[in-house]
This record gives sequence, C-alpha cells and structure tokens, in this order.
Amino acid sequence: MQFARIFSNFEVEFGTNEAGQGPGSTADTLVRVPVRYGDASRQAQTILQNNSASSMPATPLMTFYITDLKYDRPRIQDPTFVNTIQVRQRTYDSTTGTYETTQGNAFSIDRLMPVPYEATIKLDIWTSNTNQKMQLLEQILVLFNPSLEIQSTDNFIDWTSLTVLYLDNVNWSSRTVPVGTENPIDIATLTFKLPIWLTSPAKVKKLGVIERIIASVYDAQGDLNNALTNSDLLLGTRQVFTPFGYQVLLLDNKLQALRSDNIVDQPNASLTPPDSPDTNLMWHDIINMYGTLRPGISYVNLQQPDGTDVSGTVAYDPTDDRFLLFTVNSGTVPANTLAPVDAVIDPLVSGPGAGLIAPAAGQRYLLTEDTGSYDNPAGDNPTAWTGINGQPLVAHTNDIIEYDGNSWTIAFDSTSSPNNMQYVTNITTEIQYRWTGNMWVKSYQGLYPGGSWSLVI
Amino acid sequence: MPRLSLYRPNRTNDYQFLDRTIAEMYTVGGLDIFCHKYLGPQGAGTDNGNNDATIPNYSSTNPLFIEDLLLLENRDRVYDPDVFIMRGVYRQQDIDFDLSQFGLFLNNDTIFITFHYNTMIDFFGRKLMSGDVLEFPNLKDYNPLDTSIPRALPRYYVIQDAAFAQEGFSQTWLPHLWRVKATPLVNAQEYSQIMNQPFEPENIWDNGNFYPGNTIVNDGNSYYKAAGNVPPGTGITDVNPSTGLPYWTPITNPTTVGDAQSTRPKDLELNDAILTQAYNDVPLSGYDNVKFYVVPTNAAGEPSDGATTTSSTVVSSSSDEPINGITPNGFGYLAGYLTGGTNTPNGLPVTPGVSFPPNPAVGDYCFRLDYFPNRLFRYNGAAWKAISDNVRTDLDLATGALTQRASFVNNTYTVSTTDQGNIPSRQSLSQILQPNADNGNQGGNITPANPRPPGR
Repeated sequence: MQFARIFSNFEVEFGTNEAGQGPGSTADTLVRVPVRYGDASRQAQTILQNNSASSMPATPLMTFYITDLKYDRPRIQDPTFVNTIQVRQRTYDSTTGTYETTQGNAFSIDRLMPVPYEATIKLDIWTSNTNQKMQLLEQILVLFNPSLEIQSTDNFIDWTSLTVLYLDNVNWSSRTVPVGTENPIDIATLTFKLPIWLTSPAKVKKLGVIERIIASVYDAQGDLNNALTNSDLLLGTRQVFTPFGYQVLLLDNKLQALRSDNIVDQPNASLTPPDSPDTNLMWHDIINMYGTLRPGISYVNLQQPDGTDVSGTVAYDPTDDRFLLFTVNSGTVPANTLAPVDAVIDPLVSGPGAGLIAPAAGQRYLLTEDTGSYDNPAGDNPTAWTGINGQPLVAHTNDIIEYDGNSWTIAFDSTSSPNNMQYVTNITTEIQYRWTGNMWVKSYQGLYPGGSWSLVI
Repeated sequence: MPRLSLYRPNRTNDYQFLDRTIAEMYTVGGLDIFCHKYLGPQGAGTDNGNNDATIPNYSSTNPLFIEDLLLLENRDRVYDPDVFIMRGVYRQQDIDFDLSQFGLFLNNDTIFITFHYNTMIDFFGRKLMSGDVLEFPNLKDYNPLDTSIPRALPRYYVIQDAAFAQEGFSQTWLPHLWRVKATPLVNAQEYSQIMNQPFEPENIWDNGNFYPGNTIVNDGNSYYKAAGNVPPGTGITDVNPSTGLPYWTPITNPTTVGDAQSTRPKDLELNDAILTQAYNDVPLSGYDNVKFYVVPTNAAGEPSDGATTTSSTVVSSSSDEPINGITPNGFGYLAGYLTGGTNTPNGLPVTPGVSFPPNPAVGDYCFRLDYFPNRLFRYNGAAWKAISDNVRTDLDLATGALTQRASFVNNTYTVSTTDQGNIPSRQSLSQILQPNADNGNQGGNITPANPRPPGR
C-alpha cells in the first residue's frame, strides 16, 4: 500500500515545448502516471479490460508485484522476547468521533518479538518512448540514495511499522536494442528490497490494578549479582512496594492516600483512632494514572498480617478528593469471636455512673489499664467496679469485662489467652480489634504501607 | 521472334491488366479498413523557448520530420482528421488474453494485412507506414462488459512494419500488394490525438436529415453537443426559436476514445483507491499519539491534576518558582521518533500565534507558528518551555511538507531578481542561473511572486 504511494502522482509531460503544450493548446499536458498491482487475477484483469479485445492498455503506467519473500536471518533477535508497554487512552466520544481531554481506558500491551523477513518488490515502468521513461526515472531515482523510509501505519504502538525501501537494481529496458520488427511498450524494471517484520497479534490487557510489585530478582540494594551469590532470592528478601510508595490510611469508611514519609499519630497497635494527616495527595491524581474509577465497582484490597485481604468497594469522596469512600465487603472482614464491647475505657478514669452510664446487664468494656489487685491491702481496691460477692473487681489491661446484672465479671481474660486469635468490635467507634496474644490492635482499620494494599479499578 | 518473357521492366498493359484485376479482387473480397494517416510530428509553432538543437522547432507537419533527433522518436504525432477507407485482406486468427508480466496486451494479436498498392497510393497519397493507425469496423465490440458505453468499441491497430507482400508479385515480377504488420494500439502519448477525440454515440448520418440529440460535432478546436434534434443547415451558434436555447452546447471535457476504450481511467481509479487507504493508514509521517493520555506530574514526578475537586491547596506558586502539574509538562512516554504534531498533551486548549499570549496562566500552551517547524510551548509560571516540534509532515504533494522531496522537487517558489523578474527556485543544476528563456515560461515575471517562506 505505502509502496504504491511512494510512486503515485508522478507526472510526465506530453507536448512539444517546455511548457508542455502544443501550438494553440491551452490544456495542461502533464499526465499523471497511475500505479497499480501487477499480478492481477485473470478475471479482475478481464473486468478491467471490459471483457473486450477492443480495450486498450495505457501508458505511461507503473505496476508492482512481490517476487520474493525470505526469512532474514541476520536480523534475528530473541524470538521469545516480549515487550510490555502501558498506555492510557483519552476518553473517546463516539458521538462526535473525537477524543476528550480526560483519561479513558488504560491498557497493558504485550508485544512478541516480530519475525524478520526481506521482501523483493519489482516496479515495472511502462512507457511508450524513451523520453517518457527518462522523465519518470529522473524523478524516481533521486529518491533512493540508497533508500527511502517507509511506514505501514502511524500507530504509535506498532513497532514493526517503520522500515526502509532499498533500490537494489535497475533493468533499463525489456526491449532488445536496437528495436526489432515491432515497437512494444518499453518496460524498465526497478528491483527493491524491503526489510519487513511479520508479527503475531499483540496481547492487550486492562491496566486496572495498582500492583504490589514483588521484586525478587534484585536484592534490597538492587544488586543482582549479590542476590544470586547470596541466594537471597525467595529467602525473605523480596521487596514489596507500590508505585511512589504510597500508603493508605483507613479511618472508619474513608481511605486516605499518604506519601511514604507521612507520619500517622496513632500506630495500628494503638486502640485510639488516628487523626487524618494533612496532605495534598489527591485520589484523582493517583487513579488517573491507571484509568477511571468506577464508583461502587472499583475496590481496594488491604492485606492483613495473616495473609488474607480485606476488600471493599470505593468511590470518590465528593467533598474531599483526599479520601475515597470505602464500603467494606463484610465477607472479607474477620468474624468477631467475642461479643462486641460498648467502649474501650480506662477503668481508673471512668466508671459506671462516673463518666459512663449506669451499669446494665450485658454491658461490656475493654480495659486499657489494670483495675484492682489481689496484692492490694483490703479496702484499697477501686470500688467503682463491683465484682462477685460485692468484692471490688480485679481485672487487667486488655481484659474485657461484662456486667451480669449484679456484678462485673471478666469475659475475656488477657492473661490466660496468650496465643488466642480473637476479634471484637467496639460498637461505639465501629472499630474491630484483633487480639495478637499480648495486646489488642485494630483489626483492619489503620495504616497500610506501600506494598500492602492494591486498587482494582 | 522476340524471346518469350513475362518480365516487364515497366508497368505495361500486362501490369495494368493484372493490377486492375487484383484491385477488383480486393474490392470484391476485402473489407473496409479505416486508416488514420500520420502527418508528422507536432510542430511547436512559434518560438517555444527551447534552445535544444536536437528538438527542432518545426513550423509545419511533415512525415519527413523527426521530433527528437537524439532519441530518434516522434512522441507527439499529428494524424489527419480525415479517415481514409481502404479495402484490405487479412487472415483471421484466434487470440488469447496474455496476463504474463508484460501481457496486459493481446500478445499474439499481430495481424498482417495486405492492401492493393496502387489503390493505396491513389487514396492515401503514400504508402502505409509504421505509425499509421488502422481501425477495423468488422471487429467492433458491440457487447463490452460495461453496457453503459453508448456505442460499439472499434478495434484499433497500429502499423509496425510495412513492405511489399510476397504474394503480391504478379507474373510481371512487379508488386501489386502492400503488406503491413499491425499490433493492437496502446493509449499512449504518440496516439493522443486519436485518443482525445470525443467518444461520440453511434450516429449514421443521413445527408439532409437532422442531427439527433446528444450528437457531438467539432467546430474548429471546440466540441459541441446537440441539445435536441438539430435541423440541417443550422449554424453552431443558432438558437432554437421554439425553446429560445442554443441548438448546440459547448462541451469542454467530452468523454474521449481513450476514456471509453482504454484501461487508463480504471488504472487511475485503482491507484486512487490505494492512495486513499494508504493515506488513512499513514496520514502523516511519524506516529500518532493524539489518542493517548498523559498524566500531569509535579516536580517530584508524582501525578498531579489541579482540575480535580479538593478541599486543600494543590498548587502553590510564587513568581520565581516554575510550576508543574495542572497540565502535562510534556508528552512523557509518548515522545519518540517523529511524534511531534500540532496537538497538545491530552488535546488541551492551545493558543496558536506568532507571539506568546499576554498574561498566561500556569499550564497554558502556545503553538508558535513562526518557528520552523512550528513549536509547542508550555508556560510553567516563570517561563515558556518548548515541549514539542511539529515534525510530522505530509508525505504526498504538499509544497509545505517537511520532506526534501517537497523542498527540492515539488518546489513552486520563485526568487525575485532585479533584471529577470521572478525566476523559479527549482532549477536544473546543469543550467542553473543561466538567463534562458525558461524564465519567461516557468518563473520569470510571475505576478505575484511566490517567495519561499522563512525557514523553508
């Protein structure tokens, strides 16, 4: 196609003066030379000739055809090589047929190493006289010194589209010299070599995940040799990171993006919800790198220490682009193993009727401090918490206590559950906690550093 | 007693007797063959501005002339507008369409025709020669595949060789027949005068009758078409009193014999179809990155899009601090070989012009048309930074294309001089800057001048 384009629109001059006109003629006598494929089928050629012996061929004319196609071994490269590129498209408006200024789909495209071939193409130049032939050749031959760049497409992703066309040989004439008993159409033949690439289809995949990248090839210092020498691979030195190292902080139903160096005032080990740090990192900016967020469909995975994921759908917060609204998929949240608590309290600061409501049967509290001790002298234990038989309650930090209607009892004894995985929800803050064996931590709310979360849009 | 001899050195009565008999045989048994007589090469008339001694400036047509004394060929031939009808005889043969490499012709369709010599001289004025064109009415094709063709297609041949026929020598050893070798005609430059004749609908003229509607006639160098039936004796400019309209309508581009009967129109259609698709595939050189999206980034390389809703400040700037973000500060991963065009990243608005717009906002783009190639700038709050050049270019015939072919070959510009008017910028290296008459035809005194734009 593009080969024919190279040789299209050449013109030759008919006429007797240099203006290309005969006497009395005002017509432009520059005549365009058509270019067409030379190896027509018999039926197609019959149609072109109107199925009539009275039809006349015309000159000047150029025809082209492939005479050879061979594997180009010197240009061979790694046949198994796969090149991957990520591209983002602008939104396409099918109504107007134009691209908009916003981001549309994003794709990851795998391209397999194409196969090198060299095509030999011949171009026949049909002329009825020598002057005509010279006119054409002097226009064509100056273009090849020795080659001309040729493109099969202007597709940015097509890495096989660009090649060059080499002029390999010129056969001046098909006629015998001097001319014999006839005066046939003269055909000059130019032979071209065209290195081309034949390629298998590309593999298009949707680019929709902010991936956690596990770099297992290089060691922590980025040194491949050391990693191999020290057998670091797959031996716990794998790095997991997220593009730009962004962290996310889940507070209630809001997911905030944080830079890797942002500090959160309350660690995950704290039972106190952290405050949202001041940042200017916007979710639109992040997500636009990968595509378009589909509210209620796109979701975030939060990797838990036990290897499981807590997932939830997300949508932009219409009031503040620093946050995504996170709707947790309850099926992915660990089930509570204990009945919920009403609050997390410091028993030395608050008590029933003193900062807390009056005790009622079924009330449960998670304690952040010890209350009472068997080592205390009689009468020295706090009396705010009444235990069994009217004795002051003795409980420890991380214990859960419950009121049975008459007295406070220990519902979860932290001192006797060192290796016990327990989950409980604070119904005041809706935060679920997880018992690690020696302390309560937030179950899935909190900070997720880069590499421990992913977004699927 | 003189010795017996059938040989006659002169054309005696024996010869005349035999010749008349042979002529009668051709009249009785031969067929009409229409002969287009070659008159000579096209003369240039007045001075054609050509100083080439090998291409003489003939003032008349004469078959003795040769148009090109170097290449020895007559490219622009003049044929007698009158068609001579002579009786000839040829042997019929079967023909095959040959589609081998050079077989777009009817390769074996070479025929040999004999004419009665003296009749030929009487009618034609000379012997048939190479270059004369013959038309065979018995080979008309009344049923071509295209049924819209308004008349039967005649069969044209051109004479390649001519000599006395061996079968035409009588007992007197004098020749009576002229044998020509003819091959199918090609729509070529040499026969353009025949090919450019209007392809008229079939009309058997009955003297004294009218011209039917759509008849095409020739008057001087112009062609006219009958709007309706035209009575005999009507002038070319006469007006039909019943309609108030002229009988004859001038036609400037009539369908010609070449259009109707040669493959050239279809060859051009094929070429145009190829070009249309080739242009769709590669409208400009290089690569199209218009459809792709570039994420705006800040100075740290992080994504930053000021267009989104936020409750906090996205961009803070001072007058001396370049600002990135808001709009892409380049084409990023889309930059590459011949990717620069007229587009901005993500198709964002741009101000084209020959100067930067006043009071720009951070992230504004400006496309400077006075740069060659045109250059795209982005304002970062402190300066306009160049981010792309318009290097994608037309690959075809545009004179403004950024290719050497356009610059050197398709060069239509002129250069002004103080004494020779405007001379063409494109000149043959062998004759460059010579004060030749070429200037008068191609560039000299062109009004207005067509100077080369700056940078081209």
